[in-house]
Amino acid sequence: MSCLVCPFCGPRELREFEFHKTLPEANSGSAYQRTYERAAQLDSSLEHWQHVQGCRGWLRVHRNPSTGEILEVRLLGGKAK
Amino acid sequence: MKSNSPQLRRYSAWSLLRARFAGDGYWSRLWTGRSLQPAYDVVVVGAGGHGLATAFHLARDHGIKRIAVLEKRLVGYGNVGRNTTIVRSNYLLPENHYFYEDSLRRWETLSKDLNYNVMYSPRGVVDLALTEDSLPALARRGNAMRLAGIDAELLDLPALERFVPELEARRSRRFPIVGALLQRRGGTVRHDAVAWGYARGASALGVDIIENCEVTGVRTTGRSVTGVETSRGLVRAERIVFATAGHTGLIGSMLGIRLPIETHLLQAMVSEPIKPLINSVIVYVAPGHGETYILQSDRGGLVMGGHLDGFPSYTREGHWHRLEDVVQGALELFPRVGGVKILRHWAGTNDMTMDGSPIMDRLGYDNVFVNAGWCYGGFKAIPASGAAFAQFVATGTAPDLIKAYRLSRFATGHLLDEPGQGPFPVRL
Repeated sequence: MSCLVCPFCGPRELREFEFHKTLPEANSGSAYQRTYERAAQLDSSLEHWQHVQGCRGWLRVHRNPSTGEILEVRLLGGKAK
Repeated sequence: MKSNSPQLRRYSAWSLLRARFAGDGYWSRLWTGRSLQPAYDVVVVGAGGHGLATAFHLARDHGIKRIAVLEKRLVGYGNVGRNTTIVRSNYLLPENHYFYEDSLRRWETLSKDLNYNVMYSPRGVVDLALTEDSLPALARRGNAMRLAGIDAELLDLPALERFVPELEARRSRRFPIVGALLQRRGGTVRHDAVAWGYARGASALGVDIIENCEVTGVRTTGRSVTGVETSRGLVRAERIVFATAGHTGLIGSMLGIRLPIETHLLQAMVSEPIKPLINSVIVYVAPGHGETYILQSDRGGLVMGGHLDGFPSYTREGHWHRLEDVVQGALELFPRVGGVKILRHWAGTNDMTMDGSPIMDRLGYDNVFVNAGWCYGGFKAIPASGAAFAQFVATGTAPDLIKAYRLSRFATGHLLDEPGQGPFPVRL
């Protein structure tokens, strides 16, 4: 894993992006759970990233944290690419 | 150390002399390969530093007889063999600096306690200040330490030049050095020797160390766990300790509990050996950089590391952007090492908690204990963690030293957020 494909800018080096947090499967639970708890799965991680050194768009990234494989990147509120 | 195992030889000048004349076969294996039993008083999952130290203290200090340490791979395969060997207690928050100071005091005598040379080297840990406003922050941390009776010195430029002459502190730089915080008793310990020393000590006290035995699940009845399912079958246990750094979030998933932990990668690297150049541990955090810390191993290699890669991963493969960042920092500090080649480079998985401090508590069940969330600082905690956690597991009551590391602190708001960055494991 050395680059991410930004739906807006195309493939860019990893250093341009900033990871924000892993996401719960559903936006539910208490404020404590949403703030602090993280889902831990060997083969799947759903995350918010930002393309801070590019379009500054917010991204929803689906990755496999055991292999580094990127499964899907979509602009938040936008379409998958 | 009293030994149940007749093969174990105590190390001493006398035993060295005897070995000289006894020939091959005098020295025995450090720990014995006993077979897995069907039931134990305590099963410790993870033969890393914390797991082995906990098992050692359970056996030595609390007289628990039937203990097994189950390890998925090999003793010391995880972070105890992947860290950069630094020990220190230069923390700001009282809960942290008292705990890590307890650990540092134990490091000072560990070679004698284990009868195994862990090569504690109090060479000094130097945190550099590169901006005028980072110096008061370091002074505040140093003052907090001194109030707790821990050694800390704020160095101005002449003092820094005397302590680390090769740094050329007053040389013109992009980010000029303005001062530093020094902890003289901080330094390094040979990490592999810590794993081997605790494994040897625990084995001599009758602890079964079972390698290549992966825990895949738990058996439960009501509020307690009755045993663990492993790749070698069911093992029943009165109490279970998880010390599985880097994979504790997955242990939580196995137990159906979501933890305030993300697993992140931390890289380190070592150069080819060069003649003695750096006599201490130098920590450098420049504006716009992550972080670089650098020390020279006893073998002569420059050991370097930095910040986390920045996103969850179990790959144990460091990413290029961080490696480049660490090396840039090293070259800004010591331009003369530019021609030195990197010999090895690796990464480990870290349990990053949401306040940067560890979790030592029960987990979900009355007899399940978790020793986790050491972030990127678990190695230096090993001796204190082992002793305190063993007391917790043996007596059922957490000693004062680790009470603040309870899991419920996230829900009650009693966070130990050393850098003050909020509920994120990493802020670059």
